[in-house]
Amino acid sequence: MGGRGDGIMRSIRAADLEKKVYRLLKELNLRFNPQVMERLCGSVEGEYHQYFCELFRKNAEIAARASLPLCQDTGFVEFYVEVGRNVVLEEPVFKTLNRAVSNVYMEFPFRYSMVDPPLGPSKNTKDNTPTFVHVELTEGEGVSITAHVKGGGSENLTALWMFLPTASEEEINNAIEDHIRSKGGRSCPPLHVGIGVGGSADTALFMAKRALLRNLGERSPIPFVARWEEKLFFRLNKLKIGVQGFGEGPTVLDVHILTQPRHIAVLPVAVAVDCFLCRVGRVSL
Amino acid sequence: MIKNIDITEPYTSEVFEKLRAGDRVLLTGRVVVMRDSAQRRLLSLCEGGSNLPLNLKGTVVFYAGPAKEMAGAPIGAIGPTTSARMDKYLKFLYQQGVMATIGKGDRSELVETLNKEYRRVYFVAPSGVAAFLASRVERSEVVAFEDLGPEAIRLIEVHDFPLFVWIDAFGRKYRHP
Repeated sequence: MGGRGDGIMRSIRAADLEKKVYRLLKELNLRFNPQVMERLCGSVEGEYHQYFCELFRKNAEIAARASLPLCQDTGFVEFYVEVGRNVVLEEPVFKTLNRAVSNVYMEFPFRYSMVDPPLGPSKNTKDNTPTFVHVELTEGEGVSITAHVKGGGSENLTALWMFLPTASEEEINNAIEDHIRSKGGRSCPPLHVGIGVGGSADTALFMAKRALLRNLGERSPIPFVARWEEKLFFRLNKLKIGVQGFGEGPTVLDVHILTQPRHIAVLPVAVAVDCFLCRVGRVSL
Repeated sequence: MIKNIDITEPYTSEVFEKLRAGDRVLLTGRVVVMRDSAQRRLLSLCEGGSNLPLNLKGTVVFYAGPAKEMAGAPIGAIGPTTSARMDKYLKFLYQQGVMATIGKGDRSELVETLNKEYRRVYFVAPSGVAAFLASRVERSEVVAFEDLGPEAIRLIEVHDFPLFVWIDAFGRKYRHP
């Protein structure tokens, strides 16, 4: 059987991977996501909005100049690793990624936010590990790693509903709207909203998280999903939570939806949100 | 027009009661930084009849946990964390004499009631601008629970630290006009 990569495997050194991921994590914490500013401050709606935009610019400038993180919550780091069919990794990838996180969080003035055990008298792990790693084997070539620096305030808005399989799109939209209306102001709006529809409870949540990796402004290639994303984008922006919750400027930066087939009795819908910093980036080797 | 008010320590009820939801405040003075774990510990010390490691009377509490500081800098990146998680400790803080709290995001109706009852204020600080806010902090020291790392209780001194009144001393909440 012919095909790409037949018999020719490429070995990827852990040190090369580590170096790239280290640089990426440094950038994500120190540099304002260029996709965000235009959507956030492109048109200013009021005095509060204007003041906050001045602060965002000053903050970005100080962060870059002084190597201080944009936000004190330098998050936990979640990695999405896609391993193509032609590569062999030198060691289990979670080892490499944990090392990269440990090194960059120890060397820069970031925050160690991980504690263990999760309940009771927990201790800080003092290097922001462990990190969370999802690995997917793909048909592609090489390895690509997407990192998401995720703050606790936005993670706390994650939600899962097990709808009746007969639920309408309207019922789903209402649940999502209610959720963002009641809690959206806590997670540093304008938010990036990720939604997973279908699959199982766990894959719906995973899709919602993965939807946050999409570029702002990019639409789903599936026409009905793309229309749904646009509809929710307009609807959630009508909530007028606004920049920093002050009712001026956008409430959501974008909405992304991923879908999967489902069992006839089951309709899971999950939502995950990201704060306005959207600290997502990718490297490949 | 946003109303701008400068507040300098000592913090008095007279000044805080004049604030209205939506006002912008530049705060200068000392602020106690503490969050979830530290408040849980303080409450259990108090309930167990022990003395607290610091006096909270007349203080302003900032719900925050700073990042590490660079060598020579007074503090690392600092910014507010979600206040709603700590609503359950607010009555305790007010009973200890805390004058105001600073955090991010809306809070439960309980906070409106408590603010009115005790005539205290809830401010929000801008979030996601922690490098900028660090430049408004002049001094910082850990005063209790050092083992909690970023969650230790700190006393910081801020200068022109930007805040907005979210729930004022009459229980009124900011609403966009």
